Amino acid sequence: MSQKIRQYVHQLLSEGKIKAFLGLREENGHIMPHLFCEPQELEQISLGDRKEPGDARYPLNQLLIRLAREHPDDTFAVLTRGCDERGLKELFKWNQLNEERVVPVGVGCPDDLARACECEKPFPDCLIDGPQGQKADSEKVARIDGMDLEGRLKFWMGEFDRCIKCFGCRNVCPMCFCNECSIEEESLVGKGEIPPDNPTFHLIRAVHMVGRCIDCGLCEEACPADIPLRTLYKKVADIVSEELGYRTGYSIEEKSPFNIIGG
Amino acid sequence: MEFKAVLTTCPYCGCGCGMLLQVLDGKLVAVLPSKTAPVNQGKLCVKGWTVHEFVTSPKRLTTPLVRKDGTLRESSWDEALDMAAMRLREIKKEEGPDSIAIFASAKCTNEENYLLQKFCRVAIGTNNIDHCARL
Amino acid sequence: MAEKRMTFLKKLMEFCGINPDRLRVRWVSSSEASEFVEEISTFVEDIKKTGPNPLKAKEAA
Repeated sequence: MSQKIRQYVHQLLSEGKIKAFLGLREENGHIMPHLFCEPQELEQISLGDRKEPGDARYPLNQLLIRLAREHPDDTFAVLTRGCDERGLKELFKWNQLNEERVVPVGVGCPDDLARACECEKPFPDCLIDGPQGQKADSEKVARIDGMDLEGRLKFWMGEFDRCIKCFGCRNVCPMCFCNECSIEEESLVGKGEIPPDNPTFHLIRAVHMVGRCIDCGLCEEACPADIPLRTLYKKVADIVSEELGYRTGYSIEEKSPFNIIGG
Repeated sequence: MEFKAVLTTCPYCGCGCGMLLQVLDGKLVAVLPSKTAPVNQGKLCVKGWTVHEFVTSPKRLTTPLVRKDGTLRESSWDEALDMAAMRLREIKKEEGPDSIAIFASAKCTNEENYLLQKFCRVAIGTNNIDHCARL
Repeated sequence: MAEKRMTFLKKLMEFCGINPDRLRVRWVSSSEASEFVEEISTFVEDIKKTGPNPLKAKEAA
């Protein structure tokens, strides 16, 4: 699969259209983010599939933001799955990345990954390689919607109880770029307690995912306590879609409703 | 221009989580858990997530410090080592070897910790050696 | 806009098992003193009928 990607990036590099390609590299059985500056490095390209499809994905957009801040005049290509493209569209609107300086290299996700993610759109518009997968059925949210109020409280309090406040969910999130984070604010979440203020800590994070969460699933993968964060944020996206008519990562112009103060 | 992820092991506890140090243009800027490391499989605790902060912290010592007239002052390695050796020798003579205890660290290598306990048991002559991961 | 945020918050609370009736939204201007008092009093009565917040019990445990 990487042959098409490799060729596309090779072309971009040799034609000088990009300064470098931010993707993933495989070495000695380990997959990690890498900035490919020379065509000869492209031998080691990986798409983030080690044993299962997509089991070694990283928040590349987050790294791209850091890179772009240091080198604002250079153009970079970036490995982009369906979720990554949703992220890019929002980051352009949030002024964290410059659209003119980013070339997405699109990869479509296979069916089993799309189903595991319950992904709305498992392929980017700028598809270079990979399938144009189907929208997957949503079950995780439906299961909790099916519980009664008491059942839901018991479920969530039980899940959040295991939280060790590692901030992994926030740290790995490709959409979290705030300099001052609300969940680190002592007046909102008390310091020195494990689990942190239950359910305040997680509800604050959930509310901040409005118009931000692109459903990439990296948060849930980073949680050492296996808290079903993604299910919570999926529900947030559902509510926002129903009540406010906004879906994160689809429009290149319309901003998130929570972006607007007043009105 | 260079950006690379350097695979390494967390310097804190004995778990040995695999992590990727994010190095941008020669500077350590962030940390990511390694998705392919078997121990942690893409997860880290809060200490692991913040390793890059202590490495580049401006609060890190750059010279040895010796207490003179009740205040810690900058000194040279020779002065500091001479002072430590002299005082340890004195205390061992006056109070006996068991009045001295040594505290090792998970941030040292195995070899450094081995040397430390050898120093403790053979040079000082006490079994009072312990380690921060035991807390 | 605030109304939409409140609707959103109520639905999120409900999803997490917190009774959305525990959050009340009412527009009151600074000249509507009596309406404000009435709303608060009614809300207090309603909350008392709803019962103690289950989160309180969990915190004590």
